[in-house]
Amino acid sequence: MNDNEYDVIVVGAGCAGPAAAKKAAELGLKVLILEKSQVPGEKNVSGTCLNGAALLEPDLNYIVECPVERTIREMRTYHINSDRTTVFHEIPSKGILLLSVRRDHLDSWHTEEARKAGAEVKLSTTVVDIIEEDDYIKGVVTDSGEKFYGKVIIDAAGVNSIVGRKAGLIPKRKGQNMILYVTVAVKLGEEVINERFGDCIEYYLSPGIQYKTWPWIFPKKDTVTVGTGGYMDENLINDEFPNVNQYMENFLNLPVVKKKLEGGEIASWGLHLEYDEAIERRVRNGLILTGEAGGFVIPFLGEGMPEAFFTGIYAAKAAAEAIEAGDHSEAKLSERYEELIGENFFMQAFRHIATVNKESILTKTDEEITQMMQQVIIGGGFISNAIHTKWLKGVEEENFELIQEAYDFLELIQPYAAVDPDFENLYNERKSK
Amino acid sequence: MKVEMKVEYYPGETGEFIKVIEDNCVGCGECAKFCTRDVWQPDGAIYRPVNLKQCVECGACWNVCEYEAVDFSEPKGGTGVRFSYG
Repeated sequence: MNDNEYDVIVVGAGCAGPAAAKKAAELGLKVLILEKSQVPGEKNVSGTCLNGAALLEPDLNYIVECPVERTIREMRTYHINSDRTTVFHEIPSKGILLLSVRRDHLDSWHTEEARKAGAEVKLSTTVVDIIEEDDYIKGVVTDSGEKFYGKVIIDAAGVNSIVGRKAGLIPKRKGQNMILYVTVAVKLGEEVINERFGDCIEYYLSPGIQYKTWPWIFPKKDTVTVGTGGYMDENLINDEFPNVNQYMENFLNLPVVKKKLEGGEIASWGLHLEYDEAIERRVRNGLILTGEAGGFVIPFLGEGMPEAFFTGIYAAKAAAEAIEAGDHSEAKLSERYEELIGENFFMQAFRHIATVNKESILTKTDEEITQMMQQVIIGGGFISNAIHTKWLKGVEEENFELIQEAYDFLELIQPYAAVDPDFENLYNERKSK
Repeated sequence: MKVEMKVEYYPGETGEFIKVIEDNCVGCGECAKFCTRDVWQPDGAIYRPVNLKQCVECGACWNVCEYEAVDFSEPKGGTGVRFSYG
């Protein structure tokens, strides 16, 4: 193989890219990973809490060794309207529920793991085009005009990936099924965060602080990340809300939030666009789309990073088998890729819950959801919204089937609640290494 | 607490990574409406990404434009927006 020829070229070093590059290198392939930023993770914005239930999957166990800001063990939800404020204090597991991270630290660590496994890493390198021959994607072109050739290209370049767009797989969304959210990191100092938040993430729901989403405050070591935004339809932006920053302003001005962030200083601001729908076709001859490029993000459940890790790894496995067989066709690549995704319980279950959750959120006003969530008896977050919507509808319509479905939902999420104590053990074991 | 959009950028020229395709632009302003950073500004009958230096590369303008009037590429390697904390 020439210097610019590889078995696998991975575009993007966010969550999916390093996972794919590491796995492909471990499988003995010659791998190149290209990243546009100077430091991996510095062009990424996300919720930054890794789900323990996902990391328990053997494929993802190693991620636990990443730089962790804080172990999250509890969850609080505030439902606020003009009449009343209710607070749910949930402890879904007795152990660690989530790991709070910084993307710059996580993605840089992960890229280094890929390098250690044998992948070649090129930073500050933007991919601007693909090389296509005889209906096969054969390589990529960088901003400096360099060409790199690969038997399989793994696209992990995010929601607006040029690779996926040029290959005709990432469609223009025209404002449909999109979420736009802003984040601010507020520096408070470690002791203040220990006092005011501890190891607890918080969700908020109140008219005027979000539009069909679920604002949050996630504690890191010495800062907290505050996020909110909205579903992009014709009502997101209007005279009262000239842009999504207005939702953030209102959120930060809620008396309860103001008090919690008192004395803090905004250290940084971020913005992210998400697309809430799996892409119909995510494989072409010689190309696999992973992570957000492949539509593997679930905004209506606040999930995305585990899906990116999983699909990155699965793409590498599918690529390795295709290369071994000397067949890089769409049929060969997608058969294995889709099979691995279909077998992943975490991905399937979360996608299912998110669909119901989305349906209930989009058919109610934020006022109605707040009111409903103030009256529920279990939990207060994303998942219980999906359960309660079904439950209440069933009661209202005297439809036992819907109530049964709500029960089935509860059953379905048991693996999520069953993090205890396995994840804590895994965490301690990996961290002592 | 002072609420501000504190955004960092890498040094270096990004290149003109967002352009208006003048022949396609009908001046509807959807790009400007969904832009959180005031990048798009009216210029006569059309809109232009005048304040490209303020762009955070989210792609909302490209996604909402129904007239194929937004040419949305990427900044040169190692340039453009730089987020910390993620």
